[in-house]
Amino acid sequence: MTFDLRAFLVMVALIWMTLVQPAQAQNALGSNGLNVPATLVAESQKVQAGQSVTLAFVMEPKPTWHGYWENPGDAGIGMSFNWDLPAGVSIGKPRFPTPDTLLISGIMNYIYKGDYAVLVNLIISEKVPLGSLPISVKSEWLACTDEICVPEQDELSINLTVVSKDAAVSLDNAFNAYREALPRPLGSKATFSVRDDIFRISIPLPENVDITDPHFFVKEDGILDYAAAQKFNRDRDKIIIETGARGDSFESINGVLKIGPQRGFAFKAIQGDVTMSGTAIAAGGGDGGNFIGGDGQSNTTLLIIALGGAILGGLLLNLMPCVFPILSLKAMSLAKAGGDQAIVRRDALAYTAGVVLVATALGAVLLGLRASGAAVGWAFQLQDPRIIFVLLALVTAIGFNLAGMFELPNVNFGNKLAQKDGAVGSFWTGALAAFVATPCTGPFMAAALGATIVLPPVAALLIFAGLGVGLALPFLLIAFVPAIRRRLPKPGPWLDSFRKAMAVPMFLTSIGLIWLLGRQIGTDALGLSLMFLLLISLLLWWFGGGQMNGRSRGALATMAVIASLAGGIALLPNEESMDSQKRATASTAILPGEPFSEERLSELRASGRPVFAYFTADWCITCKANEAAAIQRTETADIFESANVAVLVGDWTRPDPVISRFLEKHGRAGVPLYLYYAPGAEPIILPQILTVATLTDLVNEPVATASFTPSKI
Amino acid sequence: MQILKSFSIAAIAAVTLATPLAAAQKIGSVAQDFKLTDVNGKTVQLSQFRGKTVVLEWHNPGCPFVVKHYESGNMQATQKAARAQGAVWLTINSGAQGKQGHMSGAEAKIMMATQKFQSSNYLLDSKGLVGKAYSAKTTPHMYIINGVGKLVYQGGIDDKPTANQRDIEGARNHVTAALTELKAGKSVSVAQSRPYGCSVKYAS
Repeated sequence: MTFDLRAFLVMVALIWMTLVQPAQAQNALGSNGLNVPATLVAESQKVQAGQSVTLAFVMEPKPTWHGYWENPGDAGIGMSFNWDLPAGVSIGKPRFPTPDTLLISGIMNYIYKGDYAVLVNLIISEKVPLGSLPISVKSEWLACTDEICVPEQDELSINLTVVSKDAAVSLDNAFNAYREALPRPLGSKATFSVRDDIFRISIPLPENVDITDPHFFVKEDGILDYAAAQKFNRDRDKIIIETGARGDSFESINGVLKIGPQRGFAFKAIQGDVTMSGTAIAAGGGDGGNFIGGDGQSNTTLLIIALGGAILGGLLLNLMPCVFPILSLKAMSLAKAGGDQAIVRRDALAYTAGVVLVATALGAVLLGLRASGAAVGWAFQLQDPRIIFVLLALVTAIGFNLAGMFELPNVNFGNKLAQKDGAVGSFWTGALAAFVATPCTGPFMAAALGATIVLPPVAALLIFAGLGVGLALPFLLIAFVPAIRRRLPKPGPWLDSFRKAMAVPMFLTSIGLIWLLGRQIGTDALGLSLMFLLLISLLLWWFGGGQMNGRSRGALATMAVIASLAGGIALLPNEESMDSQKRATASTAILPGEPFSEERLSELRASGRPVFAYFTADWCITCKANEAAAIQRTETADIFESANVAVLVGDWTRPDPVISRFLEKHGRAGVPLYLYYAPGAEPIILPQILTVATLTDLVNEPVATASFTPSKI
Repeated sequence: MQILKSFSIAAIAAVTLATPLAAAQKIGSVAQDFKLTDVNGKTVQLSQFRGKTVVLEWHNPGCPFVVKHYESGNMQATQKAARAQGAVWLTINSGAQGKQGHMSGAEAKIMMATQKFQSSNYLLDSKGLVGKAYSAKTTPHMYIINGVGKLVYQGGIDDKPTANQRDIEGARNHVTAALTELKAGKSVSVAQSRPYGCSVKYAS
């Protein structure tokens, strides 16, 4: 029965898919000959009078070709549109996705290398009659390679159908991705200044928003020296950018801040005072040195500086709680073997090889992920709770090992003082040290690793290798400088106590990881994970007990540990429940809310409850300010509760297409948006700056007139 | 001796590196002097034209935006009018060897004859040094230097940034307008505009 039902559903879905074809344009000239061919598509072929429909120019540059942003930069031309529209139809401003930079011998181009879509809204007035609605547009754009440019044009047309208000309208899902690529309106204004050919802009952006490879774009020409290097500072909830100016004839400008692949924010900026406060983050774009032939030059300098930073950072990493125990004990074991120079050096080199190899491999994975479009940084693996769990188990196991609960046959932290380590053992100790070091970051590392974004891959890998060399440097010094080795304290019974004491920083690292895991998966799932951790610890204890009695339980213990690790991983919550965890955390707020959906909204409206819906994002300062000042206040919460107001929260931190469309329907391109639905009345759009009074007054009004009895929730 | 030689090479290299590239020249400041070889192998220096108005035009015969103004005859007419007023017109090619639009002297001479160039001279800047000193970004990119050697105009040829010949009619030709104002003893009303076209194909 279940099976039959499923087959039926699949059939229905297939039929539906073949029927609902997205409206596709025919182009008069044929786009085969073009280097950046354009296709005009509509989000829905059927439209209703009085509504608007989004059209997309889907641009598909051939390999090596690119198209231009609305401001093309130093050279090139933006796209132009010449519409032929029926009566009663009007067109909005074209909206371009966040562009890329392309710097060729000091000339900056703002471009799109891959496929992209330019969106426009077609507004159909109430008086447009039912039936066919032909739309055509003549568009011109410039297609270029790094070498040559070709102006291209095409006449595109599309035939829409105006349907009655109660007819079903289906939407093309491809538009979700097109919208995601658009820069999102930041909601608050930026401030810029031009002084002595220096352009500065201060952009409000919360400090917890991740930024990789940033670039600041401006729509107006004549204010920015496009090719000049851009310096980025972060000062709490501000990003401040300094770069070269070309002029100062603007009172206000429109900017786009790119903070990662296809992630950008759009905002208006007005003239004001801007100081370069805060701390520097990685510089982006520009030709760096302003030197003739400076590209290679500045990259080499950058590489040397970054490599120095990486080695220094790696060296300091040795002092962090995750690495220090391993380092100090390993150092002791080298000191012990003081007599045999050759063995000490062999061990130190093997350890170094292990460290450098793992550091470089982690770097390679990082670069690979970045190349595939993920916005990740160092410790990227800590975004995945499964890896945190494995690391947690590992660090805890090392802690117990140091505390003396069990011994390990191959990986030796210097505890088997009487024995000499094999080179293999040293290698694995090094590999482990590099892996365990990843949750920790030290000074100098951020800047050095930031440079890996702008450097070519081989140079970037060199930086990661440099980090490994820095991490291994103390050992190399101990091994190759006998004077240092002689200064180390003589091993003795105290060393055993020292080793046990070193379990403390290791357990501190465990606590850090538990905290991190808890933030990601919530306390319920964390509790379960810790049960598995306990199980692993007990297994290790049992294994250690065997060792003391001279019985080998190695194989059995290893299997059992792997099984419980796998169990722990399998029981970790998936992404969906992690999202609900986030909401659960939100519901501990003063004014709890449910996640927004249109279904839930109409449900609540149908039940006659007043609804307050607000749309927010973690990166939106105005939203957070309003929440702190007006929404998450006991006054508001009390009044809302007594009036039985339902609260819906739309989180747009990630570009949720459902919310994007809802915002657009209310004439907003971004957050914040505050709506109040009194029972049976049209929604009221609230101002973007809220006060407690704005909210409480709203509720008080309808309560007096509406005829329902407030009830306790 | 050897040491002295390598020292002086290092010194020259350092000076070359320190030459600012992106320091765009300001309107009203003295335009950077330069020496370039023309299509006949003769050296031409900017300062030899002191006392006359000089127009600089960046050129790349393969660029569709340049083609727009030459196929229509607009650029030649602008050149002719400028020279009739007594101005000197230097067309400069900063295309590097192997890149689009690079020309040898002989090739340039043939092109100038067939396309009926009216400029005073065609200069070869395949190393791009002069182009970068002037921050020439596009082809065409226009500069006007007055009789005392000061920069009075930089930017596009006109205000219709397209590759379409039909847009020439009705566009404001910034160069013609500036030259007319200079001739009448007035200051240039539009001294700066956005240059448009292909990027200059520099070597690096």
